[in-house]
Amino acid sequence: MSKNNLNGLWLLSIAAIVTPAYAQDYLTAAHAQQAIFPDAEAYQPMLLKLNVSQRDKIQTLSGLRQRWEEQKVWRVEKAGKHVGWFIVDDVVGKHEFITYGIGLSLDGHVMGIEVMSYRETKGSQIRDAGWRQHLVGKTLSDPFKLDADVPNISGATLSCRNVMDGVKRLLALQKVALANG
Amino acid sequence: MRYKQLSILILGVAGTCLAANAIADESLFGYVKGAETLPKGTWEFDQSFTYRDDKGSGEYSAWDSKTEVEYGVTDRFTASGYLKMQSIDMSDLVVDGYLPGNESYGLRPSGVEASFKYNFLSPAKDDFGLSGYLSLGYDWLDKHSGQDKDKYSIELELLAQKYFMEGQLIWAGNVGVEAAYAKRDQLSASRLAGLPEDYDWPTNPEMEVGLNAGTGLSYRFAPNWFIGAEALYETEFETEVGQERWSVFAGPSLHYGGQDWWATLTWFKQVRGGGETYEGQRDNDLHLIEKTEQEIRLKFGIDF
Repeated sequence: MSKNNLNGLWLLSIAAIVTPAYAQDYLTAAHAQQAIFPDAEAYQPMLLKLNVSQRDKIQTLSGLRQRWEEQKVWRVEKAGKHVGWFIVDDVVGKHEFITYGIGLSLDGHVMGIEVMSYRETKGSQIRDAGWRQHLVGKTLSDPFKLDADVPNISGATLSCRNVMDGVKRLLALQKVALANG
Repeated sequence: MRYKQLSILILGVAGTCLAANAIADESLFGYVKGAETLPKGTWEFDQSFTYRDDKGSGEYSAWDSKTEVEYGVTDRFTASGYLKMQSIDMSDLVVDGYLPGNESYGLRPSGVEASFKYNFLSPAKDDFGLSGYLSLGYDWLDKHSGQDKDKYSIELELLAQKYFMEGQLIWAGNVGVEAAYAKRDQLSASRLAGLPEDYDWPTNPEMEVGLNAGTGLSYRFAPNWFIGAEALYETEFETEVGQERWSVFAGPSLHYGGQDWWATLTWFKQVRGGGETYEGQRDNDLHLIEKTEQEIRLKFGIDF
């Protein structure tokens, strides 16, 4: 084989490598907290460390693997009282991780979800309030099934599935590792 | 020849860099197909270049170009149209009945194709993805010899796909069957004059039936970047000789999937093969009449 031919082909992979990856951040954690808990007065950050047993329990409850050993959690307070939890999570998108923040009530309901960083081409509707609204009010006992209780977004099915599954997993995490009060 | 090949590469680089807006039905592999379809109402432009090289004797290299426009008719049904082109550079190689001596020309149109993919099960939604694939083709150049040959083909495949690790690890598998009707043109008098007297070049219509099975595994090792491996078994049965050939190709794939475009580079090495051999063939563990020792394929796609 002519080496000139091969050299030409490798140019293409070099072109791919030097092209900058696209990233779009929409919200900071503070913005997401305010959007979900507008009346809250304090957000106490904590780094929740999960041991193997807790991660196994999360998987048992949700049917989903708890990928992260640490999870960023904020205790949400109003007038000195604990009113909810705010958690930042990353799930696998088609090409990159999707970062989102979720608010949970003390009795295990989803109060709101905000997409903080979404880098995929298709499926930007995940950021739309209309789609996210389908996850609000969910509890661990809900089906969490695409095209059943949560609509699918064509072309971004994997992203929808993983965000939806992430919400279910965090409800299980709350039950296993977050104590109210 | 070098300038023609350079032109192909410049076209590829330009297309890759000037991409506009991407991607659902992207190819993680060079040869194995995934089960996903385009969303309804979206278009995608795909281009692949395949370099085929080395038949173990003489000099043989060829480029295949496949330009595809894909359209999502519904969320589950994708239709595609293709223009195929090829170039060939062959010398010091004559194989009775298959390769009638030196041939050299640059990239020229060689065939057209239409394909249709219907998604039965979505890999992300239903845990296991499954699609049916139908392809109809008409070629007027033989990709092996470079000679004129009319070939009408129909191909049916089942495409499976499975996500593991929330989609970070992806498996795909294909099985398919192809049937073709082919008829060669007569060789020119000047070409015949340069061939041995007993050289056989059948021009009767022939029927070909091919079977294929492929599998691939791809892992996202960094944001946007996937490394994978794929393998493809192909065999072909033909009217006169029965099983004409079989081969197993395997090799690594590197895939980039970005915001605006994707690209996949695959090196495919023939690891085993059999069937017809040519006189003087040194490596009888490979099929080197209709296949080469290796192929390199670059594909890229752009949504618009």
